[in-house]
Amino acid sequence: MKPLRVFFTGVGGQGTLTATKLLAETALEQDIQVNAGEIHGMAQRGGVVHSFVLLGGYFSPKISHGEADVILGFEPMETMRALSFLKKGGLVISSEDPVPPISVTTGKETYPSLDYIKSETRKCSPDAMFIPCISLARQTGVVQTANTVLMGAFFSMGLLPFGLEVLLNSIKKRLKPALVDVNIKAARLGADFASQTL
Amino acid sequence: MNLLDPNPGAKELLLGNEAIVRGALEAGVGFISCYPGTPSSEVPDTFFRLSPKGNYYFEYCPNEKVAMETAGAAALGGVPTLVTMKHVGVNVAADPLMTLAYIGTPGGLVVLSADDPGCHSSQNEQDNRYYARLAGLPCFEPSTAQECKDMTRNALELSALWEQPVLLRTTTRVNHMRGPVDFGRMKPAKTKGQFKKNPMRFVPIPAVARVRHKALTANLDKIRLEIEKSPWNKSWGQGSVGVIASGVSRSYLKDVLKSHPDIKIRVLELGVTHPLPQNLVKDFLADLKKVIILEELEPILENDVRVLCQKQELTIQVLGKGDILPLWDEYSTLCIEKALMDALGLEFRQEEQCSPDVSSLPSRPPNLCAGCSHRSVYLNVRRVFGDDAIYSSDIGCYTLGILPPLRTADFLLCMGSSVSGGCGMSRVVDNPVLAFIGDSTFFHSGITGLINAVYNKHDLIVVILDNRTTAMTGHQPHPGVDQSLYGRKPGHIEIEPLVRACGVDNVRKVKALNQKAVLEALKEFKNMSGVRVLIAEEPCPLYAKRILGVKRSKIAVVKESGQASLDCLNELACPAFYMEEETVRINPDSCAGCMVCVQICDEIKPGSRS
Repeated sequence: MKPLRVFFTGVGGQGTLTATKLLAETALEQDIQVNAGEIHGMAQRGGVVHSFVLLGGYFSPKISHGEADVILGFEPMETMRALSFLKKGGLVISSEDPVPPISVTTGKETYPSLDYIKSETRKCSPDAMFIPCISLARQTGVVQTANTVLMGAFFSMGLLPFGLEVLLNSIKKRLKPALVDVNIKAARLGADFASQTL
Repeated sequence: MNLLDPNPGAKELLLGNEAIVRGALEAGVGFISCYPGTPSSEVPDTFFRLSPKGNYYFEYCPNEKVAMETAGAAALGGVPTLVTMKHVGVNVAADPLMTLAYIGTPGGLVVLSADDPGCHSSQNEQDNRYYARLAGLPCFEPSTAQECKDMTRNALELSALWEQPVLLRTTTRVNHMRGPVDFGRMKPAKTKGQFKKNPMRFVPIPAVARVRHKALTANLDKIRLEIEKSPWNKSWGQGSVGVIASGVSRSYLKDVLKSHPDIKIRVLELGVTHPLPQNLVKDFLADLKKVIILEELEPILENDVRVLCQKQELTIQVLGKGDILPLWDEYSTLCIEKALMDALGLEFRQEEQCSPDVSSLPSRPPNLCAGCSHRSVYLNVRRVFGDDAIYSSDIGCYTLGILPPLRTADFLLCMGSSVSGGCGMSRVVDNPVLAFIGDSTFFHSGITGLINAVYNKHDLIVVILDNRTTAMTGHQPHPGVDQSLYGRKPGHIEIEPLVRACGVDNVRKVKALNQKAVLEALKEFKNMSGVRVLIAEEPCPLYAKRILGVKRSKIAVVKESGQASLDCLNELACPAFYMEEETVRINPDSCAGCMVCVQICDEIKPGSRS
């Protein structure tokens, strides 16, 4: 396969690391060379989480500025903050549902408008796709599946050497039985959204 | 995935730290001790989780010194042993470590030092490869998950063979990387050994120590010869410019070379960096015009190479630390690409990258969780002492009290320093001094500070923020936690009698979420002098939910949003609060039901979780 660097950005508690692990384990199972990297610790307390999956023969466990082929953004403002990691010609796939930081929720700072975030993002990635991950996740009845909505969209877009069915099988195999059905539903919702948008 | 699978053959995606566990198991490890700390924690936590099924002895210790001593003695008793800690933990354990290198460790002892270049979750980014030189330890530096496994195994085997402790030095990126790992066969664990008495070796009175120092040096010379042939050190490539790379820099280098197939360069990868394989390095340098040294943090290999060049009268140009390769932070493919291009006299073309202005975006610092009892205590501390007091902080979630509006951290040194630092500060300033320390940190090294406070009659308020677990590093148990919670024999140590036994007369114990109790205890203490200890107890809400199974059915609801609710929002900075236009609200999904806001604000009332 053509080597691919996937940069994950999100907020502690959104399941960014779960999604990272899911992609990395799925890739290994599909006989794709894979390395992934995470940072643990302080970020769990509501801070920004960056993680990386490098496919197709990389050795590094992290992605530098200007290197990411894909940015998967689990939170729109964090997507914008991470744009310097995107390679020229890279693609952004992001949630468009804000998780405002405390400075915003308590009225100290203002969250940028979604239009602004989208236009700034499209300057770097003209085909950037924004997905209402949290709204779609609500349709499954479990809002915590928003991360899987994004993964469903990503897997269905033909960027990886495997597709949505592989993700669905991986979900069945790796998640707790009680969480499988809602996550499959979430992944399909993400994939459907992507196919309607493309 | 089954890390305990005795058979070879499986290929699994493992965290670097999980791979270390597998490597130790394959080597037949029988004894593991630790004090947890990011980025090392998943090693001991995995051993702890697997311990009901695994054939080994594992323990969490009160601190790294204790862990090093229990581990050192287990290795003296002939059992293959692993002891794990973060880089600053090695400072705590340095005293026994230095001596263990003298007397040796017949069963085999691997010391995991998880360094943190970039200070992702630490108070410094010290380079613990210096400890390999200071103590005299062979030093292994893995760069992939597979190497984490294989080097741990090899290090344990060689440690037993050499009868010397070995340093397994990792960095955050390696501990927290995930990569494919091929499992090897697992040796039967050796959990029992025999101590062969030899006081003239194992009791380092001066007469013995002098001899043992020479023995260590001689042993390292022999080890050096083996490291010359080690498969972990290998050279490849062509050209008159060379690179000597260690640790995770090796991975970055390979990716850079992959994206520049035109570059002709010779590479020496050093996986075992101490004692330096001098002949190998000398031969590598022989036909080169220049050599670039790639190592994060300190110029240790660089200086080794410079010394070697001087001794061998080589005139090769050595390129290392400088503007491109800094003494701080992590390396990356970018800085290594730049260093190579610079050395080769080629033009470095930085890939075009997007750079939208993100400086005005709202920041997202980590924050105390909704329902965290530290917030409750800090709120009352500020109400009673305000900006007048000096707040001596410590290592844990509660260091997040540094942020406004709580602002209850004025200085901090290291684990346990709040109490002893508070002693020194209170002696020289006229302000009231409060020391904040968590339960796990109190057992780690707060007790000794408290004994000092009593003995030397300091004027200090110590607040023990007892959330019943080691919260920041992932809810590990500590000596104050009843082990029956984890299906082990019951047993724990209560903090209050321990504090009283240290000679503290003024001890108050309160429920940390009880506003009246916390406030009154602090007010009472404010009017007293001497050593005063407030124990504020309440389980960490994440721990209560996940481990203790506590369900809080009540939540807080803003009944009428007025000035009082707004003040509450501003004073608490609880992440469950938010503003909707001009109205204060509490997110029912985020509210942990601690009811602190209900106690301090008439406009907020208890409601039911729907």
